[in-house]
This record gives sequence, structure tokens and C-alpha cells, in this order.
Amino acid sequence: MSALLHPRYALLRQLATLAAVLAFWEYAGTQGWLNPLYMPRPSAIWLALRDLFLDGRIWPHMQATFTAALGGLVLGVLAGVVLGIVAALVRLLSELIEPVMLVLNAIPRVILAPLFIIWFGIGLGSKIALSFVLVAVVIFFNVFGAVKNVDRRLVERIVTLGGGRWALLRQVYLPSITASVLHNLKVAVGFAFTGAVVGEFVGASRGLGYLISFAQSTYNAALMIALVLLILAVVLVIFSLANQAEKRLMRWH
Amino acid sequence: MRVSNVSLSYGGEPVLEGASLRVGSGQFVSLVGPSGSGKSSLLRVAMGLQKPFAGSVDLERGKSDVGILFQDDALLPWRTARQNVSLGLRFRGMPKQEALRKADEWLARLGLEGLEDRYPRRLSGGQRKRVALAQVLALEPKLILMDEPFASLDAIVRTKIIQDVVHLVEQQKITVLLVTHDLEEAISLSDVVYLLSQGPRAKITQEYPIPIPRPRDLVRARLHPAYAPLLDKLWSDLSHEVEGNVNGHSAKAAA
Repeated sequence: MSALLHPRYALLRQLATLAAVLAFWEYAGTQGWLNPLYMPRPSAIWLALRDLFLDGRIWPHMQATFTAALGGLVLGVLAGVVLGIVAALVRLLSELIEPVMLVLNAIPRVILAPLFIIWFGIGLGSKIALSFVLVAVVIFFNVFGAVKNVDRRLVERIVTLGGGRWALLRQVYLPSITASVLHNLKVAVGFAFTGAVVGEFVGASRGLGYLISFAQSTYNAALMIALVLLILAVVLVIFSLANQAEKRLMRWH
Repeated sequence: MRVSNVSLSYGGEPVLEGASLRVGSGQFVSLVGPSGSGKSSLLRVAMGLQKPFAGSVDLERGKSDVGILFQDDALLPWRTARQNVSLGLRFRGMPKQEALRKADEWLARLGLEGLEDRYPRRLSGGQRKRVALAQVLALEPKLILMDEPFASLDAIVRTKIIQDVVHLVEQQKITVLLVTHDLEEAISLSDVVYLLSQGPRAKITQEYPIPIPRPRDLVRARLHPAYAPLLDKLWSDLSHEVEGNVNGHSAKAAA
């Protein structure tokens, strides 16, 4: 018995507890202790999830959400990096860019979703735009900080070894920026999906966010929980990809 | 190299005032002084990292013949030991393969064979210091400016590294200006030691020629008959500087 308390079996204990909770939940459902309208049984959630895949109707929605999230992520990272570098190096431009970013950072940026729908329609554009704004602001501040706080000793080292501007950029600035972006890639991925999904349930005809909003309007709690689990799984997969990218590119760390 | 009447201030605070010294070709010269007296500032002026308020530094050599060794290692954490050492060579236009090969040679000469592909984080403090040394020596400088480069090392590693540096410097006939707060290090390494007075308005107040012959052995140098009296003299002059200043301040405060 005490062997099972070894730290090595932590995962086993966690899974056993989860199984017990699910079993009790299921049992409580069959006994009628829980109202299925609010709290459907795990088996019902499982069935809802399975159905989504069985008839294949989930794929276009997944595709829509992925396209929006990845589009927003890529564009947001690019814009954040470029604006961050420019603002950190060119004082006149930082006077313009920084206040805008500070304001965007201070407000809950998802409130822009309805505006984007007016501007870009209920299609892909408005979701990418929301994803983009969420990601770009986070990346901007990270890159801005990375460039501003670049290790002065490394800069002096390169200069005294005879390196010029290009060498400084290549040997000191770019690696510092890359490190900071990679460090925050997971946060950015989370924001990218938040943007896409929130955009979809404000107004869309496709996407996981749209399905959630559909489940809400039809009072389908099982479908809703199934979708939440699905998004969770998707984001976890992407997190692990981001983790691998970070490990590979930061092996000096 | 020649430092002439250098004055320097930080935000209105005068740090140096009319500091002058000379380092003869092939000489090993140390600059000692109370902490905060502006030793490092004087060196930064010599390195061209700081503009003096007045006076000038003439290195009497081209910029490419001057190597600089900092207190910290300041290696690029995202480059391997080999890449770090090859940096200066690459900046001088050496083709990549040749620069990497030369880097390997210098790493081996400093006893780091087999560690060429390590990143700085995977090296010990002493090993990082050796990489930083290889980085500077690979450029075959005629003059090296050192800012307390050995301060952060533990005693045994430090003695070994310093001995290697002395050996290489004597062998390559490199001129050295070393800033240190360690008087024993200064005497056992140098041909001349300069004492910088307590700041503010610090200047060079004393010059001590060290008559210990070369090649030097770090431990034997301490057994030379000239060593102990020099150390004694340097100590009392330095203490005098510090106390004199403390008294000067309290006198001012009393007035």
C-alpha cells in the first residue's frame, strides 16, 4: 500500500481520482440526483463528442477556428516583433506606438470583437483581426522589453571585438528577441485561440466558438462541455508543439 | 600606451582629475586603488567606451591590436565556446571554417579541448573565463586591457588561470594594463604598479617599479626579497589614501 504513495505513482493516483470522480458523477446522473439539463452525465458528453466526429461535421468548424487562430498568431507575432523592435530603437516612433499599445493592453481587447464584425464581416477576417490584436500586443511588449533590456555587457563585448551594427543585430539582438518570443509563444497561442473562439461566438457561421454559441441557444450542455474539452485538447497539443520548438531553439539555455 | 591628464565626471560628480600613466611596450602594468576610486572608469576611457571630460588616451596602436578582458565573462549564451572564440576573427573577415579551426586551437591552448561545443551555461566559471581569454588572445593583440578579470574566481582556479595568462603574455610579448584591487596579484604580475588616489578627483599618486625578474612564476615571485617590502609599502600607501580621505571628509563635515 505504502509503495503506491511513492512520488513515482503520482500520475496513477491522479488518474485513479479522476476515474472515481467520473464514476460517481455518472452514478449520480443515473440515480437522478443531477438535472441532465444542467449537468449531463460523462457518458452523454462522450456521446456528444463522438457524434461530432462520427458524422464529420466537426471538421469544417475545426478548420475555421484553426485558420483564424493560426492566421492571427502568425500575423500578430510578426507585427509584435516588428513594432517592438522599431519602438525600442526609434524614439520618435516609440512616442506614437507605445501609448497605443498601453491602451490596447489596458482594455480587455475582446470588447473589440463586435467592432471587428462590423468592419470585417462575420467571416474569417474578423476572427483573424481579434486574434491578431490579442497576440500582437503581448508580443510587442515582450520584444520591446527584450530590445530595451538587452545585456549591455554583450553589446560592449561585440563592439570591443570589432563587431559593427550588423554583428550586434545578428549576434545579440536577434537571439534575445527570439528567446523572448519563444518564451511567450504559449501565452500567444492561448491568446490566438481565445481571439478566434470569442470572435466566433460573437458572430459567425462556422467554428468551434460558433458551435458553443449554438449549443447554448439550444440548451445543449452535453455538447457545450464536449466542445470545451475539445478546445482544451487542441490547445494542449499546440502547447506541446510550442514547447518542443522552444526546447529545440533554446538548447543553449 | 600613454594616458595623459584624463578627467572624467559622472553626472556632475568629478571622478577622475588629471590621471596620467605610461605603459611601456611589452610591459605588464597594474593599476590599483581604493574601491570606487575610478580605476575601472579610467580603463573604460582607455577602451573607448567612455569619453573623457578632458585629457586623452593614446594606445599607440591600431584598434585591432587591442584586446579587452572584462570582469564578467560576457560570452554570448546562445553561442558555443567555439563560436564565441571565433567571433572576433569573423568580424575581421576571416572565413568561417578557418576562424572555427583557429578557435579550436586557442581553446586547446587554454586547456579546453573537448569543450568546444559546450554552451557557456554548461561551463564552470573558470572554464568560461578561459573561453573569454581565448576569445581575446585569438585576435593576437599587442595590448590587452584587463578590468579585474580574475576577481570572481575561487583561489585555486584563479592562481592557475593567472599563471597561464602570465605565461602566454610573456611568450607573445603582449603589453598589459590590469586594473585590480588585489595588491599581491598586482605585485607578483607586474613590471610597474600605479596607485590611484581615493576619489572623487582621483589621480595617479605613486609609481612602483617591480624588480622581480621574468619569466615569472606566480608562487616564486612572492618569495623574491623585493616582494614583502613592496607589499608593505603599497599597503601603507593605500591605507593612507583611504584614511586620509575619511579624515578629509570628517574635517569638512566639522567645518
